[in-house]
Amino acid sequence: MNHRGSFGRRDTTPFSVVMVKVRRLGQRVLVATGAVAVLGSCATNAPQDTWQPKGPNAKMIDDLQQPVFAVAGIIGIIVSVVITYAMWRYRDRGQPIPEQTHGKPALEITLTVIPALILAVVGVFTFRVIFDLARTDDTELVINVTGQQWWWEYDYPVQNEWGITQPIISSGQLVMPAGTKVLLRETSRDVIHSYWIPALNGKRDAVPGRIHTLRLEADEPGIYAGQCTEFCGLSHANMRMEAVALSKEDFAKWIANQQAAYRAPAEGTLAKEGESVFLNQCVRCHQVDGLKRPDGTLAIAAPDENVWSGAAPNLTKLMTRNTFAGAMFDLLRDACRDDVWKAKSAEFGAKYLAGVDETCLNVNDLRAWLRNAPEVKPMYANPALLADTNGKYRGMPNLGLSESDIDKLVAYLLTLK
Amino acid sequence: MAIIERPAPGSTVPALTPAPPAITPARTYGALRRPVATTGWKSWLFTVDHKKLGLMYGATALFFFIVGGLEAVLIRLQLAAPGGKVLNADLYNQMFTMHATTMVFLFVMPMAAGFANYFVPLQIGARDVAFPRINAFGFWCLLAGGIVVNLAWFLGGAADGGWFMYAPNSGPVFSPSHGVDFWTLGLQIAGIASLTGAINLIVTVLNMRAPGMTLMKMPIFTWMITVVQFLLLFAIPVITVALFLLTFQRSFGAQFFDVAAGADPLLWQHLFWIFGHPEVYVLILPSFGIISEVLPVFSRKPLFGYPFVVFSGAAIGFVGWGVWAHHMFASGLGPVSVAVFSLATMAIAVPTGVKIINWTLTMWGGKLVFTTAMKFAIGLVVLFTIGGLSGVTHSVAPSDTQQTDTYYIVAHFHYVLFGGAIFGIFSGFYYWWPKMFGKMLNERLGSWNFWLMVIGMNMTFGPMHILGLQGQPRRMYQWTEARAGEGFFNLAFWNLIASVGSLILTVGIGLFLINIVVTARSKVRAPLDPWNARSLEWMTSNPPKEHNFDSIPHVHHLDEFFHRKYEEDPTTHTMREVATAEEVLAELERNADKHIHMPSPSYWPLVLASGMPVVALGIIYSIPVAIVGGLIMLYALYGWALEPATAPESDFDSTSNNGHAVGASHG
Amino acid sequence: MAESATHDAHVTSTGLSNVKLGMWLFLGSECLLFGGLISTYMLYRGRVSNGPTPEQIYDIPFTSVSSFVLLMSSLTMVLAVSAAHNKDDRGTNLWLSVTALLGATFVGGQVYEFTAFYNEGLGFTTSLFGSSFYTLTGFHGVHVTVGIIMLMALVAINKRSKVPGSKSETVEMIGLYWHFVDIVWIIIFTLVYLIPV
Repeated sequence: MNHRGSFGRRDTTPFSVVMVKVRRLGQRVLVATGAVAVLGSCATNAPQDTWQPKGPNAKMIDDLQQPVFAVAGIIGIIVSVVITYAMWRYRDRGQPIPEQTHGKPALEITLTVIPALILAVVGVFTFRVIFDLARTDDTELVINVTGQQWWWEYDYPVQNEWGITQPIISSGQLVMPAGTKVLLRETSRDVIHSYWIPALNGKRDAVPGRIHTLRLEADEPGIYAGQCTEFCGLSHANMRMEAVALSKEDFAKWIANQQAAYRAPAEGTLAKEGESVFLNQCVRCHQVDGLKRPDGTLAIAAPDENVWSGAAPNLTKLMTRNTFAGAMFDLLRDACRDDVWKAKSAEFGAKYLAGVDETCLNVNDLRAWLRNAPEVKPMYANPALLADTNGKYRGMPNLGLSESDIDKLVAYLLTLK
Repeated sequence: MAIIERPAPGSTVPALTPAPPAITPARTYGALRRPVATTGWKSWLFTVDHKKLGLMYGATALFFFIVGGLEAVLIRLQLAAPGGKVLNADLYNQMFTMHATTMVFLFVMPMAAGFANYFVPLQIGARDVAFPRINAFGFWCLLAGGIVVNLAWFLGGAADGGWFMYAPNSGPVFSPSHGVDFWTLGLQIAGIASLTGAINLIVTVLNMRAPGMTLMKMPIFTWMITVVQFLLLFAIPVITVALFLLTFQRSFGAQFFDVAAGADPLLWQHLFWIFGHPEVYVLILPSFGIISEVLPVFSRKPLFGYPFVVFSGAAIGFVGWGVWAHHMFASGLGPVSVAVFSLATMAIAVPTGVKIINWTLTMWGGKLVFTTAMKFAIGLVVLFTIGGLSGVTHSVAPSDTQQTDTYYIVAHFHYVLFGGAIFGIFSGFYYWWPKMFGKMLNERLGSWNFWLMVIGMNMTFGPMHILGLQGQPRRMYQWTEARAGEGFFNLAFWNLIASVGSLILTVGIGLFLINIVVTARSKVRAPLDPWNARSLEWMTSNPPKEHNFDSIPHVHHLDEFFHRKYEEDPTTHTMREVATAEEVLAELERNADKHIHMPSPSYWPLVLASGMPVVALGIIYSIPVAIVGGLIMLYALYGWALEPATAPESDFDSTSNNGHAVGASHG
Repeated sequence: MAESATHDAHVTSTGLSNVKLGMWLFLGSECLLFGGLISTYMLYRGRVSNGPTPEQIYDIPFTSVSSFVLLMSSLTMVLAVSAAHNKDDRGTNLWLSVTALLGATFVGGQVYEFTAFYNEGLGFTTSLFGSSFYTLTGFHGVHVTVGIIMLMALVAINKRSKVPGSKSETVEMIGLYWHFVDIVWIIIFTLVYLIPV
């Protein structure tokens, strides 16, 4: 339990004193009964554990909810004990039918007022946290997040103080500096999605036509798992996210690399052949910044003409990310992935920035994806249903690539670093 | 039958006794003669008797309970292990959508409507509801709606947008099958049942109580049903609007939820939850009413703090309108709205807590008899408390943003709806079965039924608290090992436990179905007053005669029946028996009314309701078909308007009776 | 309800007859129906991505006249109810017919208005404003039409009835409905036509 520490803010209002007392009492009860909360703080819990905050926003929520859980647990135990006792004490043992009393208003009112008071105390604290979590005036970095069936796009608008001199468009992993107040500006291109990184904050829906904000801040460098939590159609289950927090220096390196110029593969390599496959097939939807056609013109993707929701992941610097297909699949083999996920926070940045190379590439999933995407991730790519969308796809279609084309594409994608 | 002769004193006439023969209607109304069958399937098809309709509601609801339960089992089989392959994504989405839709609209609501239909007139000493034909029409609408919603399974796939059907995911592009069309139109039809039922029952309760039964002497079940009907009266039109908007968008190209045209998807959420939250209380309050009858009977004490229970029920009914946006804490409402709705939600916990306290204190100092009905009632109190307390944790809005759309919410509302609503319904089954069928459900099987359900329910939904707090979202057709963790709280173990629990639950509910069969085959008749009950519905035969009461009782007490059987000993204040149930009943029979006219059966409710699915199918497939459906309905209305609710003697070729209409007016 | 068969069927706990109480409840429910539709319209009336805006097509003088006609029908409905109370079947039938006629005039005006708007480019699917305008006023128009059908049916039934004033309660019940529909129109007319976006 101790990992939770003290309140995010100290103040001396009578309510907070009461709350601290209740909290201590609750902790004792929980420890004494060996309740779930103790085991709930084990380090091997699921990565989306909501009771292990890793940043101040999530911590604020946790500090608020722990006493509520404790009080609720205590009340639950009291009610159960009273009912069990009554069942034993007043069971039918042949006693006469008792006096037909219709109640005691004084007792009744007392027992109504007590829970009302408890809730009033909880209400005051809730009120404050709601407004604290809604603040946007202390933002240090803004990232635009756009949900789409079934992946998230991250768009870093120009912010010179962070070295972002041209917009960076990425997907798969949200990369942000640790110890920084990041503000997500969320929206959606099709249906409602919801952005949720439990270790960093609660969830906020991404609603088409609206912009909602969500504060995120990670205490330490590391990788934090999340999942779309508003039902958004067929592959809702596969719409995952990972937030990557880097130290400020590492973040600057990441920014610099994202903005670095495109390096075409050397002539005569398999990757160069892959580039032309990419130009023939993939560039209809997927943008790679700086990629040129053989005639020297820039290749500009036109996902709005082919995809109903209007966008497809920008694949510039794909191999600096660890996931693909809406974070459904890892770009790293399991061993390499574990190495990054379990790295200590001091070493994490270097391991993450190393990106994906040939030895670590999760080649099986990537090839399966290129071979027939709708088979490995349910999407409405059924041509029979495209009439409703003016012939536009919802998700990546089966491109019918040959195995040798896939070889070439994989070689090419590995160069996008 | 329209005209009922006064039964011979002392005889216990079963409800389905054939009425005097040789009465055939002479006049036709809109080409059809009045139906007269008193036995056989026709007597059910054209009945307007509130008891028969209650049983029909119940049977329909039970059927859909099995359907919804099988859907739930498939969901749990799919989620038992990571990367489940039992269902594909599309089928899974249909499955959880239809599981919720079926359980909410086609099981709990109609089951409560069934109990209400059957027992509200009996509890208030009436002979039928205010509008018997509208009552029949309501039932047929429910059945038609349930069929339409489920028809989609066979016609290209069921609705797949979740029971909350958020726009724009429910729009024509994002849900291209006809499932959502069937869903909106089917629910629209079922909604008519709720609305007409609400008007009918409110009028019945307000206008047709036995003499002396003031509102504060009304049985608590009737009170809770009345609150529910008011909630439905005002909530159903809101979902009606939402469903119309969605139908107009999907079928006629309206733009209500088309974001490209500037629509706001939150409009749907507001409309849905303004309906949806009162709906939650629509689901739970009838069960609160049931156990508020059962606990006093088996504690041999009146309900503790009856006025508090009444007023807290009414308070829930009012405050329930001010909390809808707590379903939308993550929707981006802005901090002011979130704060207001958060506090309102905490406020509604208070009247709910009052009920728990009153039930506990009802048992306190009593003489507790642990029948199966009592076990289910106590089960409700405990399980609902757990669900209520987890509810408090997400009335705290910031905390809710960590919990909403995770399995923690699934755990919460299954504790309140399964542990609450369904346990209450089962308590009602065991308590009222002898009243409805004249036979008692087997108590031994009942005990097994209860314990397997308690174990199964806690094994299924208990682990979901852990799953949710460990971050497993809802509505995922698969979960992945990568996000499962390894410790004691790993998702794999608890998902498996939940799935095993769902199988135990299935066995438990299966035992109930077996119990029905065993009971039906048994030849043992139930005693007149098997539970030593307290309220008016027990002051008549088992099952009640068609006209319910030979003479309408004068009411002097809350728990009138009990006070006719017992008197207080002035020295010890304990109660001693002064009359048996049989004696009380015999007294009523001695004063029986001479001639009782009951409302007559009618074809028109069925004909009118049968036009509705035709209209629905027409809207989906071809407008001319809808016009045919409309004509059927017009024709039915024409016949209905011409036909008097209670057949006058001039309708019949034998006119031997000369009584007055009683019990119901035009419907 | 009555304690025994010898009592009048119309003695109720509240003193209101079942049908009248039922109609009041139904109208309470209808308030929420129109509340939802009006809210939808108010949210969307300014959202015109395509086609004409409200100011461009509303013909306030015309709609004012048809609104006045509908208001007058409430007056004739009152006269019908009063005649029914006096067991004056001829008067009842006369005023019911006049009410139905005024209602039909209103609906005719609405049909004309819809046609005019459609010709000016505002279809049901043109814009959010179009969808919500036609849905709201269309629902109201259907309510008026249902009212007209009930009035005419009542006249027909009244003519067959042999007992004068036997339908006075039904007249009163339909009167409630009719006044409700009129009041809703006053709200719609104010919110939809008079208050600028």
